[in-house]
Amino acid sequence: MKIIDKLAKIDRRIIYLILAVVVILPMIFPSVLRVRVMPPVEKLFHAVDNVPKEKALIIDFDYAPQTAPELEPMGFALLRHAFRKRTKVLILSLYVQMLGLAQNALTEVIEEFNSVAETNTDSIIYGRDYVFLGWVPPPIIPILGMGESITNVYQVDYYGNRTDTLPLMKEIKNYNNVGLLVSLSGSDPPEWWIAYAQNRFGLQVGAGVTAVSASKYFSYYQTGQFSGLMVGMKGAAEYEEMIEKELAIKSRRIASEALPPLTYAHLVIMVFIVIGNISFLMQRRKK
Amino acid sequence: MTLILLAGLFALAPPTGVRAYDTPDDGGGAIIIEWQISQDDQILDGYEIYRSDNGIDFEKVGFIGKGRTTIEDETNDGVKYLYKVAAISDTIRAYSEPSAEVMSYPQWINRNKINIFVAFFIFGGIILYFIYHARKGKELFIRKIAGLQAIDDAVGRATEMGKPILYVPGIGYIDYIATIASLNILGEVAKKCAEYETKLINPHIDPIVYTVAREVVKESYTKVGRPDAFDPDSVYFITDLQFAYAAAVDGIMVREKPATNFLVGWFRAESLILAETGASAGAIQIAGTDQVSQLPFFVTACDYTLIGEELYAASAYINRDPLLLGAIKGQDWGKLIIGAILLAASVIGIITKFPILNLFR
Amino acid sequence: MKRTFPLFLVLIFGIFALLPYIIPHPIIQNTDELLRNNLLKILSAFALVLGLGSLLKVHTDKIKRKRENWEYSWVLIMTFIITSIIGLFGGVSGTGILPTSIGSFPFDIQTIYFNVVVPLGSTMFAMLAFFMASAAYRAFRARSTEATLLLIAGFIVMLGVLPLGNRISPHLPSFAQWIMDVPNVAGQRGILFGVALGAVATSLKIILGIERSWLGGGGGK
Repeated sequence: MKIIDKLAKIDRRIIYLILAVVVILPMIFPSVLRVRVMPPVEKLFHAVDNVPKEKALIIDFDYAPQTAPELEPMGFALLRHAFRKRTKVLILSLYVQMLGLAQNALTEVIEEFNSVAETNTDSIIYGRDYVFLGWVPPPIIPILGMGESITNVYQVDYYGNRTDTLPLMKEIKNYNNVGLLVSLSGSDPPEWWIAYAQNRFGLQVGAGVTAVSASKYFSYYQTGQFSGLMVGMKGAAEYEEMIEKELAIKSRRIASEALPPLTYAHLVIMVFIVIGNISFLMQRRKK
Repeated sequence: MTLILLAGLFALAPPTGVRAYDTPDDGGGAIIIEWQISQDDQILDGYEIYRSDNGIDFEKVGFIGKGRTTIEDETNDGVKYLYKVAAISDTIRAYSEPSAEVMSYPQWINRNKINIFVAFFIFGGIILYFIYHARKGKELFIRKIAGLQAIDDAVGRATEMGKPILYVPGIGYIDYIATIASLNILGEVAKKCAEYETKLINPHIDPIVYTVAREVVKESYTKVGRPDAFDPDSVYFITDLQFAYAAAVDGIMVREKPATNFLVGWFRAESLILAETGASAGAIQIAGTDQVSQLPFFVTACDYTLIGEELYAASAYINRDPLLLGAIKGQDWGKLIIGAILLAASVIGIITKFPILNLFR
Repeated sequence: MKRTFPLFLVLIFGIFALLPYIIPHPIIQNTDELLRNNLLKILSAFALVLGLGSLLKVHTDKIKRKRENWEYSWVLIMTFIITSIIGLFGGVSGTGILPTSIGSFPFDIQTIYFNVVVPLGSTMFAMLAFFMASAAYRAFRARSTEATLLLIAGFIVMLGVLPLGNRISPHLPSFAQWIMDVPNVAGQRGILFGVALGAVATSLKIILGIERSWLGGGGGK
């Protein structure tokens, strides 16, 4: 019975140690946990996949360092998908702090593609295949302004080039030339794109959001205002699963690698709760 | 002739029925323009909106996508404007007939908010009615709230153990109701600390809350006749960063080992960090917040938790002042009436086709 | 007078805070903005000076009396002085009169913030996972019927959000989502109703001067 008493009062340091081990070990020895793709992610995948050749995909990178673990894998997966399909891509941020993270994602994915490209046609070329528009304050003004003219809102891109001189921007004038916009954000921007860009200009909008804000955004998905929705780490892992399965894109699956620590941490907590309850019930029975 | 034929082939149908009017229920500076879509809407790029203040020169003031029939324009109050809407496709434009003259001006009342104000006055009236009755000396019952009941015991425990009491008022600003409710409770706790000569530690994240709390505690000590016992350094400001504050408070808990922790106010993610560290330090913890997302953490880690409006009722509960109790009773009756209205509205909405929901918009 | 004047101010400003909600006229809206944006900011700035004064006083006192861990007070004060100088004279991104880089190594206030404050904040945030584990182990006991129901619902939701849940049963994720969408939201809305009405009642009591504990000394009248 002493064991029962001990199990009822496990030192919290043991709990912390075990939790640390089950979170760190899968990160040191990464493995990929395959996931079943749920309808919201599948819909978003098909929405990106079906962007017409003559139209562009806009990705709005609006995540901060705190939300990057959940949203950055989504950005990576979307860029890989778009570049594989040779969809024209425009990248922007509604806040200045997010530009650095957007730049990181772009640099890494383009390097992946260009390192295996054999010809100029295979390569991802700036100005022809994608444009990094950058940031224009305040957040709502570019959303409204791009309905009429993107180059009027972003007169120079992130690198200081005049946007009206870039070949891509000669074809993509406003939302009429945009097939889909996907907003990656841990706060309000997806709502703003719906309220201003979709309501006024009929733009198709998808979103990648943090798990915490999922309950808020599911209602937009249910009404069809979002063409698709990725939620949290699992949503990112599902998108990675889709691009590997449908497009045979073999790359590092960051979100899928993060699922084992997440799963094991949950299981450890559940095991401890079960142990605590078993010892509690046995102690109660003893009394 | 050929040119006229070609022009006819490429001519767009303009939008019709352009109507412009002052945006209702606003502070002025806006006019709404409505129109009927062009017959060629499917092939359009969108609609351009033109405005003139003299009826002759029109300037472009807006653009909206195809299929849309309304837009709001920013204007100067008191100036008469005319509007035209042009359907555009590439470089071809088809202009509508101009609208009638219109002028924007500010309104004094937002009619959309009247239903809320009516509800507010009804609710306020009920509260004032019960306060009036309480003045007449009527005995009012308030149910037991375990967290508030435990304040005396918690302070007594700290006094017996010779350890301090830690009072954390949350990370809210002074205009948050939870912060004000927390300061009310702080006043009571400070009075008991003054009576029993127990050390009080009260760290703050907001400078304004800190200055108010300092005065609250000082007044409490004065009120029980112990102004000399007030230590100004017991109430102090730490930092205005959320997690830096949490780290500092955790440090206080681990070093000072308070016998009692009060975690009362407006909290966010740091709530569990504070509560769990306090539990590991062996303190008895009384928590209270109106943040629904943080309540589960407090319920899990603390001995007593004041949920939502129990926090707001604290002052009335502790003082048993008839006026405050009367306000609580009025509040409860108000909730009952609102519940009954919701039930009735749900039944009407389900059974009939009456647009009952519009009353609540 | 000491108590009457603040009560009078609260009455006037409290009523005035309600007006912009129903009166859209620019006279009211602009005055409200002046009070909220300008006056409050000025008050906050002065209060910040008081707050910092309090912080420095507490720690210099600790150093003077050599109380326990007084050495860390030195760390706080020195860090405060150095960062203040860098922030005040070095400019936001190193564009001020004080040079804030040695070669290619910058130490302007933006760099300090992103490389020191943000990682420390993230570290504290990351500790939540461990605290959740120990709190869950300690507190989630099936003490009563309600606690048992809560435990079962918690297990279902935790399993439902994991890939493992889908392997146990394909209906588990949907059921977990239903628990979050229906009973959870219903309970939250109930509390929110009470909180909203409580807030209105408390505000009314404060504006009308019935609730005066915030003035100090505790108690109503």
